[in-house]
Amino acid sequence: MSNSIFRKLMFSFCLVIVIALVACSSNEDGDGSTSEGDTVEFWHSMTDTSGDAVEKVIEKFEEENPDINIEATYVANQGEGQNEKLLTAIAGGNPPDVAYFDRFEVAAWAAQGSLEPLTEMAEEAGISQDNYYDFAWEEASYEEELYAVPTTTDSRLLFYNKDHFEEVGLDPESPPTTIDELEEAAEKLTIKEGNRFERIGFIPWFGQGWFYGWGWSFGGDFYDPDTGEVTADHPKNVEALEWMTEFGQEYGVEDIAGFTDSQGTGAMDPFVSGQISMKIDGNFGVAALEKFDPDLNYGVTPIPTPTGDNFTTWSGGWSVVMPKGANNQEGAWEFMKFFGSEEGQKIFSETSRDFSVIESVNESLGYTEDPIFAEFINILPESNSRPVMTEGSLYWNALADAVEASTRGNGTPKENLEKVTQQVSDALEE
Amino acid sequence: MKKKMEQSDQPLSAGGMINPKKKKSKVSGSSINGWLFASPWIIGLLLFYAFPLFSSIYFSFTTYSILSPGEFIGLDNYKQLMSDGLFWKSIYNTIYFAVFFVPLSIIIGVALAMMLNMRVKGMAVYRTIFFLPTLVPHVALAVLWMWLLNPGFGLVNGVLDAIGITGPNWLGSVTWSKPSLILMSLWAIGQPVIIYLAGLGDIPQELYEAADVDGASWLQKTFKVTIPLLTPVIFFNLVMGAIGAFQQFTLPYTMTQGQGTPDNSMTFYVMYLYDNAFKYFQMGYASAMAWILFIVIMLLTAVIFISSKRWVHYQGK
Repeated sequence: MSNSIFRKLMFSFCLVIVIALVACSSNEDGDGSTSEGDTVEFWHSMTDTSGDAVEKVIEKFEEENPDINIEATYVANQGEGQNEKLLTAIAGGNPPDVAYFDRFEVAAWAAQGSLEPLTEMAEEAGISQDNYYDFAWEEASYEEELYAVPTTTDSRLLFYNKDHFEEVGLDPESPPTTIDELEEAAEKLTIKEGNRFERIGFIPWFGQGWFYGWGWSFGGDFYDPDTGEVTADHPKNVEALEWMTEFGQEYGVEDIAGFTDSQGTGAMDPFVSGQISMKIDGNFGVAALEKFDPDLNYGVTPIPTPTGDNFTTWSGGWSVVMPKGANNQEGAWEFMKFFGSEEGQKIFSETSRDFSVIESVNESLGYTEDPIFAEFINILPESNSRPVMTEGSLYWNALADAVEASTRGNGTPKENLEKVTQQVSDALEE
Repeated sequence: MKKKMEQSDQPLSAGGMINPKKKKSKVSGSSINGWLFASPWIIGLLLFYAFPLFSSIYFSFTTYSILSPGEFIGLDNYKQLMSDGLFWKSIYNTIYFAVFFVPLSIIIGVALAMMLNMRVKGMAVYRTIFFLPTLVPHVALAVLWMWLLNPGFGLVNGVLDAIGITGPNWLGSVTWSKPSLILMSLWAIGQPVIIYLAGLGDIPQELYEAADVDGASWLQKTFKVTIPLLTPVIFFNLVMGAIGAFQQFTLPYTMTQGQGTPDNSMTFYVMYLYDNAFKYFQMGYASAMAWILFIVIMLLTAVIFISSKRWVHYQGK
């Protein structure tokens, strides 16, 4: 009696296991080759305007390729050094077919063998460097192989509030061009009560004021691609960080932190609410301003330099990659090709207000005629891109740490940047 | 159903009790079934716990990056850690947190449990109120406290302002960031309090009555009866609290978006381990860190265990 019940139980238990296993395995090799037609799994981290934009791209793609079905999944925190989910998916052999990917990390991931090379397919489809901005293409390649199809780019400029300028007697049509003028304007614009800022003129590291931008603006450099030498402690970089540190000391770095910690994004952005008069931001910041305060009277101008000329900036941007072991590579490539094509770029850029990586698309969308966007486009030829190297994430974080440490008085700028050079060089040698 | 169960139970127990000769075969038969029933758990344990655990010993001697197996490099990872500034900084932060948080959580936990053990009307409500924060997910807790501690319009500084104190920039200041974290961790102290309450309920009433007869004051009763008899529970919470403190991750990671700002004052050991493992492709390095952490926690627990003979008093001994 007892045995029969045990047997029944065991039987049903085994049955459950078998069903579970079958279900799992069918799930694994069923993707891509099922009778429902081609399904391409696509992971991205876009919300808001760019989320709408990517939906439009997918819609159009599916319209043109009725046999391919794009299954888009939103994955929070993909990019900017946070790709844990994608990493484990690739390691586990079950990655999406296409992933939206921060371009400055392509080299590191390609060096790990975690992305499918696209060179052959690109050659077949006639896609080459000529189609794109040079820096975008370089970031998408690693050791002569193409690993990503670039999709967007950006540049960074100084945003300034014209009304504030007039209020304190500055000429709203001649924004600061040198670092000295910038400091002067910041001082005039700042209203401080006790340790609280009613309004602050400028914070060098706020918004997109990353150290890469300041280093280049001061005439420094970060990496020599020919020798592979890391130059975080370039004398001009040290100068830039010394200036940032002094700025922080003058205004009280903890008071500034108190100010920035109280700020939000979007409609709560302090530039929108008039609590900060100047900030460094990218062209993607324009969409938010248009949305939350279309009447804001502001201008953009190149990031000031010590000499008032040789303006520069830096550009990042996104791309689509095919993770190693993607199931439906053909379908994936079709989609990537479309996203990177003029047609796909036009749809995406029009809605998201991100710049296209194709010059003609930016022209046809009228970016070059818009007084604000034209500034961003015009500086692109002078723009830098972050070093194409395998330790891009580490370099980025180490520089952010160096800025934090220096402005908080924990080591001199020179010491901290030397430490970065050391750390990144060591990591590259391994 | 019930009848069936009874029926099936009987032969089993009868077989075990009355038929000692048959016992052996029965037991081995049922033990196979037992293993089979436990197998999902055992397989899971071996596959997803023991295997990764032991393979991480090997990985800690390699340049394993999750995506590529890497090379065997002997003790290089460990040597490199010794000269890694951020590694030591993260150890300092973690020890700082543990040294303040663990004793404070015991003192406040015991005090709270004693208050919640008083015979007052509606005690169940009070107990619930103090336990509620424990139910808040860590991420939500982090966001909540970021608002409370906001230097511009946070409630904490608002209250301090009202009584004439200018509050610091809690989470934005190197000096105050860790104390803030300790504060918000103490807020979710419900779990140990429940255990202390159980411990308090376990102390025989006659000891207090005897103390009353002898004319002991409240203080004397607390320090001569309550605390000594609560030591087994304190001991348990000390061990668990120390382990938990060394593994601090979710709160600071959420609050600083993984950056450990300001100036790495919130970079805790496991956060740095996580960055190495999942951001910098250094799983081997991270494995070495994990084993160092394991050894540190083992030693610490051993020390607590050895010392416990001196200060933990079990009832009936």
